[in-house]
Amino acid sequence: MILIILDTRFPGAPPMLELRNVQVLYDRAIEAVRDVSLAVPEGQMIALLGSNGAGKSTILKAISGVLYQENGEIMSGSVALDGKPISGLQPGDIVRKGIIQVPEGRALFAQLTAEENLLMGGITRSRADSRAAMDMVYDLFPRVKERRHQTAGYLSGGEQQMVAIGRALMANPSLLMLDEPSLGLAPQVVDTIFDAILNLNQSSGVTVLLVEQNAQLALDVASYGYIIENGRIVLDGTVETLRKNDDVQEFYLGMSGGERKSMRDVKHYKRRKRWLS
Amino acid sequence: MDFFLLLISTGLVIGASYGLIAMGFALVYKATGVVNFAHGELVMLTAYIAFSLTQIFGLSFIPLMLVTIPISMVLGLTLERIFIRPMLGEPVFSIVMVTIGLAVILRGVTIMIWGPDPHNLTAGVTRDVIRVFGIPFYAAQLMSIAALAICTTLGWAFLRFSRIGISMRAVASHETAALLVGISVSRTHAMAWALSSGLAAVAGVLFAMNFKLAPDLWFQGLKSFPAVILGGLDSILGAAFAGVIIGLIENLSQGYIGQGLREISGFIVIIIVLMVRPYGLFGDRDIERV
Repeated sequence: MILIILDTRFPGAPPMLELRNVQVLYDRAIEAVRDVSLAVPEGQMIALLGSNGAGKSTILKAISGVLYQENGEIMSGSVALDGKPISGLQPGDIVRKGIIQVPEGRALFAQLTAEENLLMGGITRSRADSRAAMDMVYDLFPRVKERRHQTAGYLSGGEQQMVAIGRALMANPSLLMLDEPSLGLAPQVVDTIFDAILNLNQSSGVTVLLVEQNAQLALDVASYGYIIENGRIVLDGTVETLRKNDDVQEFYLGMSGGERKSMRDVKHYKRRKRWLS
Repeated sequence: MDFFLLLISTGLVIGASYGLIAMGFALVYKATGVVNFAHGELVMLTAYIAFSLTQIFGLSFIPLMLVTIPISMVLGLTLERIFIRPMLGEPVFSIVMVTIGLAVILRGVTIMIWGPDPHNLTAGVTRDVIRVFGIPFYAAQLMSIAALAICTTLGWAFLRFSRIGISMRAVASHETAALLVGISVSRTHAMAWALSSGLAAVAGVLFAMNFKLAPDLWFQGLKSFPAVILGGLDSILGAAFAGVIIGLIENLSQGYIGQGLREISGFIVIIIVLMVRPYGLFGDRDIERV
């Protein structure tokens, strides 16, 4: 018997990346992510929102297959790309399948030049493809082209983020995962970066999974969002629904209806909500 | 003046040997973060392998190197596979202990196979004296210096221009990021071991040609350590350059200051370097932007 599960959220579009009931433990003891299910349909920009330590980066590391670096492990659940499981693959194989991550805090090769960083981004591709991709990245970020012979560690934060995104683009991603691209950047620079991300998604058709602490920013560009707290998805919906949600307004967008609540109320309220969800 | 020139020339030769050995240390350290304490033993073992090759096939120097280097690289790969790869993810200290164990094993194996008596390795090179700018050299001595220059140039070009070389630097710089762009970190580690063993072969054969081939050759590994530290531990070119400096310092201090200083002057340099410039002359300082 074949059981067909209809995804009512995105009728007709099978998700490109799908996580089902994923549980991640560090050191076989500390539960960082619990029972997380999320879907990233092709061509969309999906936001994953949550505060520090909620488990956002852990989810991206689980998808990229680099959890073992920090002694973490997917204990149960599945990660699938186009319906085929990818958990357990080598990080390099996942890159070759088109899932590329821009890690938190940029994680550039600090001692290498900007251009060498890009070159490494294209290591899984042929020289010719890599060269073409580099021209594309230079078109997208002319600033990186100006700075290409500089040591990456000495670039400004914004330039580094551009190199980090450029390095990911070098691998010709079909799914680009960005871990807090706005972290530590000046507002103007954030605009440039987000314009580029939006452009990649809309013009080039790159599917994006955007992890952010800054909900305002993320909800502006994404189409659907998941909210994660203490390692669990507590809320998900289209950005319009999320925006209207009282909790999201209260805790993520910083909009408070009427009188301000004291911190004690907030804590109590949060605790109760989590209990209910 | 002749005395000075003699000290300089022998200093250059021993320095070239230190430099070649130190490059091997630095290469493995840079790519894997592990000081391979068995490197001196690899230098000795590959020299003995070359010795056997000359005994059996009567190879002259160039063909000998062309055969010995690939054999050594395979040897390095095999040792990495058996002893180091299973330790991936373990604390660095445990891996260093494994290399120390490996060193003892290799020393024992060498004596088992080739016996404790010293040999001469000539590889058909003449013992004529050649004068360069008035400084007398043996042919083998000049070959040592030339080998260092060639290996340094090749090493620099490899790390600077080849994709594999750059990916080695990338792994050294940020391992997780390297995985995330699709570099195979374990393959890069294996590659570092292979290249380092190839360098060990060059160093070993030339040392044996210039001095002697005996089961205490492994000690040159430890004697090259001042060069590794002075160069900055993770700087391959720095190690080569520092080797020459240490060789000169040793010889000049021995010649002008006092007997016995040759053995200790290098280690005095280590102490000074660690106090004044812990990252060596050319080592990477961690880049920190505030």
